[in-house]
Amino acid sequence: MAMNCNAKDEVDGGPPCAPGGAAKTRRPDNTAFKQQRLPAWQPILTAGTVLPTFFVVGLIFIPIGIGIFVTSNNIREVEIDYTGTEPSSPCNKCLSPNVTPCVCTINFTLEKAFEGNVFMYYGLSNFYQNHRRYVKSRDDSQLNGDAGALINPSKECEPYRKNEDLPVAPCGAIANSMFNDTLELFLVSNESDPTPTPITLKKKGIAWWTDKHVKFRNPSGAGSLEERFKGTTKPVNWRKPVYMLDSDEDNNGFINEDFIVWMRTAALPTFRKLYRLIEQTSDLRPTLPAGQYYLNITYNYPVHSFDGRKRMILSTISWMGGKNPFLGIAYITVGSISFLLGVVLLVINHKYRNSSNTADTMAF
Amino acid sequence: MGWQRYRQGLEVSNHRTIYINDHLKNNFCPNWIRTAKYSKWSFLPRYLYLQFSKAANAFFLFISILQQIPDVSPTGKYTTLLPLMIILTVSGIKEIIEDYKRHMADRLVNKKTVLALESGKCKVNALADEAFLIDDAFYLCPLLALPETAGVQTEKQLLSISGKIECEGPNCHFSCFTGTLYITDRSPVPIGPDQVLLRGTQLRNTQWIIGIVIYTGFETKFMQNAVKSPLKRPKVEKVTNVQIHALFLLLLVMSLVSFVGALFWRRAHSADMWYLKRREEKSHAFGFDILVFIILYHNLIPVSLLVTLEIVKFIQAQFINWDEDMHYKENGVYAVARTSNLNEELGQVKYLFSDKTGTLTCNRMTFKKCSIAGIPYSQSSSRELNDPTLLANIKNGHPTEEYIKEFFILLCVCNTVLPERDGNNIIYQASSPDEAALVKGAKNLGFVFTMRTPYTVTIQAMGEEYTFEILNILEFSSNRKRMSIIVRTPTGQLRLYCKGADTVIYERLSKDSLFMEETLTHLKLFATEGLRTLCVAYADLSEEQYQHWLMDYKSASIVLQNRIQRLEECYDTIEKTTHHMIYQNCQDLGNMLGKENDLALIIDGETLKYAMGIGIKTDFLNLALSCRAVLCCRLSPLQKAEIVDMVKKNVRAITLAIGDGANDVGMIQRAHVGVGISGNEGMQATNNSDYAIAQFSYLEKLLLVHGTWNYFRVTKCILYCFYKNVVLYIIGLWFTFVNGFSGQVLFDNWCISLYNVIFTSLPPFTLGIFEQCCSQKDLLKYPQLYTISQKGKTFNARVFWIECLNALAHSFILFWFPTKMLEHDMVLQHGFTTDYLFLGNFIYTYVVVTVCLKAGLETMFWTKFSHLAIWGSIIIWFVCFTIYSHFWPTIPIAPEMAGQARMILICPYFWLGFFVVPATCLIKDIVWKSIRNTQKGSLPLNSQQLESSKAKGFEFSSVFEKR
Repeated sequence: MAMNCNAKDEVDGGPPCAPGGAAKTRRPDNTAFKQQRLPAWQPILTAGTVLPTFFVVGLIFIPIGIGIFVTSNNIREVEIDYTGTEPSSPCNKCLSPNVTPCVCTINFTLEKAFEGNVFMYYGLSNFYQNHRRYVKSRDDSQLNGDAGALINPSKECEPYRKNEDLPVAPCGAIANSMFNDTLELFLVSNESDPTPTPITLKKKGIAWWTDKHVKFRNPSGAGSLEERFKGTTKPVNWRKPVYMLDSDEDNNGFINEDFIVWMRTAALPTFRKLYRLIEQTSDLRPTLPAGQYYLNITYNYPVHSFDGRKRMILSTISWMGGKNPFLGIAYITVGSISFLLGVVLLVINHKYRNSSNTADTMAF
Repeated sequence: MGWQRYRQGLEVSNHRTIYINDHLKNNFCPNWIRTAKYSKWSFLPRYLYLQFSKAANAFFLFISILQQIPDVSPTGKYTTLLPLMIILTVSGIKEIIEDYKRHMADRLVNKKTVLALESGKCKVNALADEAFLIDDAFYLCPLLALPETAGVQTEKQLLSISGKIECEGPNCHFSCFTGTLYITDRSPVPIGPDQVLLRGTQLRNTQWIIGIVIYTGFETKFMQNAVKSPLKRPKVEKVTNVQIHALFLLLLVMSLVSFVGALFWRRAHSADMWYLKRREEKSHAFGFDILVFIILYHNLIPVSLLVTLEIVKFIQAQFINWDEDMHYKENGVYAVARTSNLNEELGQVKYLFSDKTGTLTCNRMTFKKCSIAGIPYSQSSSRELNDPTLLANIKNGHPTEEYIKEFFILLCVCNTVLPERDGNNIIYQASSPDEAALVKGAKNLGFVFTMRTPYTVTIQAMGEEYTFEILNILEFSSNRKRMSIIVRTPTGQLRLYCKGADTVIYERLSKDSLFMEETLTHLKLFATEGLRTLCVAYADLSEEQYQHWLMDYKSASIVLQNRIQRLEECYDTIEKTTHHMIYQNCQDLGNMLGKENDLALIIDGETLKYAMGIGIKTDFLNLALSCRAVLCCRLSPLQKAEIVDMVKKNVRAITLAIGDGANDVGMIQRAHVGVGISGNEGMQATNNSDYAIAQFSYLEKLLLVHGTWNYFRVTKCILYCFYKNVVLYIIGLWFTFVNGFSGQVLFDNWCISLYNVIFTSLPPFTLGIFEQCCSQKDLLKYPQLYTISQKGKTFNARVFWIECLNALAHSFILFWFPTKMLEHDMVLQHGFTTDYLFLGNFIYTYVVVTVCLKAGLETMFWTKFSHLAIWGSIIIWFVCFTIYSHFWPTIPIAPEMAGQARMILICPYFWLGFFVVPATCLIKDIVWKSIRNTQKGSLPLNSQQLESSKAKGFEFSSVFEKR
């Protein structure tokens, strides 16, 4: 019965946490995964191996950059500031709130004709559409035609949620501050003819398809739009209710395209929004021939209080959008840097190989 | 948990009384154990408590709560909660799986049948005083084997015994136990560790025993041991924690800067910003505004880092478990990673502490040489001792014949080996392999140890049978380094046999001992040959002497606490046996001081005591550190632990201790990484280790391959997790500068919160699991490569902040390039204008692409999984983006996203930027990396360079220092 209970001959399998027992029964498969012998590609980046890539990148990027740059430069664009803070500006009179409605006219000249479709934008500066309190101040359910949200808008709309106990439609700060200047364009055909020709400005087709057809919807129901918006009130700053934005049924209410465009809040405090389309009427004549133009502004929108600026922009569009030299320059710069680095790496590679070569030859 | 209460409540009393056959008086903890962490009901609260006691998780919970405050969160209410929930669920599932295994194991143990005696009936599985044990049963609780003095025959008699046992309270020391058995009307009997059967011990050679249960359930020594293993934190984790705190500070600074910016902006602008009518002033309180920014930037701290690392390390541990190269085929034992959080620490070991015997050697002992009464006997071949002169001397009546016989009788008697008959064969069960070797050696020479009873030992010497009565066994302990036995020889004489380390034996020899000089010479001779040496001696005792000593002994042994054996022994003759063993020259500490490098320091336990003294400890440490190797011989377990502790505390380096026996437990637990050899010496070392391997030689692969790989994997994974978070979330800061410091986010809320859990969750895993800095072949061939991870060159505060700066530069490019591209909002073909989310989605896509490509740049070992993760992540984003843009209004989330994919994917600018923006970010990284690789050489290149330098005849300095 002699038992030597030395600590050394402890147990096998008694303790639940003892690994010994488990280890014996466990038979792992001898797979490449378990033995960490998976086939693998082992690229090693050295000056020698990456060098061609840099040259190739340089050679591809520079031509692309030049292409983009040229394309961008070929785009015609004219920008007219009509804020009117300068005393000489025709719109200076509109700065005082007493003059309503205030109409001012600005003359400008197109040196070169604008071919193809021309797009008319308004631009605002120092306007923080991307401010957190501003961005969230909307109710997308309401804008989607939800009956409940129409009568009871989201809390996010505060303090533009209710006005005199009636729900605001559309609610929120974004809607409330909608851009409401009216811009008209006239061509002075020739010096002798004093009556200018109005340019046809198309107000439909300026909003994203999804916005117009999916995201924004008028409240459903029979009857006129006015009836469907019954029980709501207009935003405080608006002159007329939402169902009177346009006479066209398809461009009225929440699906008014000016409204939709405004509701996409811009990323930067200086931004542009599409205002009107000037469609090409025939292939023979330029859409906007060179010459004298009048810009007729119904000046409603106050920006001088926060040092903002208002602009009207006319632009043609290439395959890649509007005028912006940045991307072309970026491509050219990155391409050149890449090319230069390729040269640097070539030198380093050469030097290194030389030094290791001499070391080798010395060793032998 | 219940058992913790038990432990706390009962450990206070450090001695306990057990009443025999009186159940009502014995009120101890029930005999079941639980090693599982959770129960069905406690899981949720306990799991959540554990998770949220981690600083990072608590931080994210705090943010999630903050987000519930109306009008504070810029990112929605649930955007932090959701990823947090996903992450907690993932690690919860892992916990459940692990805990389920523990539950199963517990159930197995708790359901074992125990026979108990209670009022004449056998009861099962109860805390009873006595228990029957059937042969080969495992014990669930320490039992006290009733000494035969109780002299009982029947069950009735058993039940009629009354008395008590006084013994020490539950503790974790396996090899000691002190108690006293008081049986009514009898003299008290001392009880030592010999009488105690620990939980899990196996009964051999015995049909049954009757025992008294002393400790049950959690109070068993085994369980007391199991719960006390210290928690080790790897160095990388410490560095990471510091950096997380630094990032948190940075987060606060960023919030403060933004807040100050907001103040200035408001002063400059807000006077007439009619379109931005402000709310009531209360929401603009200082605290609220700063909270906005904290919520905005909080993702700088990677939410998924902890769970990613947990999973990565778990799989790394599995790789260690699965490794066929560390599979000891002879007994089918695989390496076992008992913890997974020290994986990368294996790559940083600088000082290695190894147990010699059994660890460095295989612990296969053979009896090779001996010197008896001044005459050496040996066999030149490597096989066991079989010297014809020895046999001749016994048979032919050589003058030393008596000594020779006495020598072999001593070998047979003075041990704790248990002979087990298997037909005609005798198998020796020994707790230490040298004892078995000696007994086997004696058997080969005709001295056969045949039978052991508790009080007698029977041997067969030259064909005749002798029975020795054992009076006392003075056991071996690593402090005493010797064992002795007092027997009554068949002729009726009292004799003391002693066996132990030469130093301790020589100290105790009487001055007039015979053969001292000769033996010492032979001892040195054997030692120089690299053999393990032992000395044996005997002394005749007079009755008077013995009785006198016995009195002392009894009085000493009945004392409960601090039982010390104050035994003076004298020895007369010495003989000597040897084993093979790695051994080196012995010198004194004094001779070595002041010299440096390329030397080995050898010091023995006795000397070490002085060397570790307060005055010269530093000198000793410096000396030891300056040497290539330090050999410490004849150390007690405590000294082993002390040495490890000394190095660990004074040198900022990672230590690893490896050992196989119970005497190594201290150092295994003390070192940064403890490795146990699951060899011959039981499971003690293994159970306390972090990694268990079957052979010492496997340490090479464990450190050089697994260690290096894991270090690179973990550090790359951590750096990358930080990188990708900084890249995306710093963009919030850049955007703040153009949005009037309002805290608006540029991305959709759900894109932000799913960034870490979906869109960029895979690359960290492939980096952490599949990355190989260089091949296994090279790592083993050039151990110098180990220095890179050993010195921690690829992960420290400097590397971390460089990576963060790099991320900052990337985020700068990633924000400003697209912003400039979209400056005029006219990037669509029909002249349409865009919104902030349009820019946001541009940037987000570029971020995902850049971050995934960056992972590709970090990857040196592209397996199919790497391709899947890197290209897959980009594709997943595009797919999700497309689907997500079609949610509104069918699924009422993300109205702003409606139609985004449709417009973005056809936007020429988007695709033009798609190539130039990530290229701009990564061009610097590629150049920097390739120049560095060209100049210094990457790891695989390094090994190539080593190859060529080897050809040129450079000499390597060994990296792999053993101390």
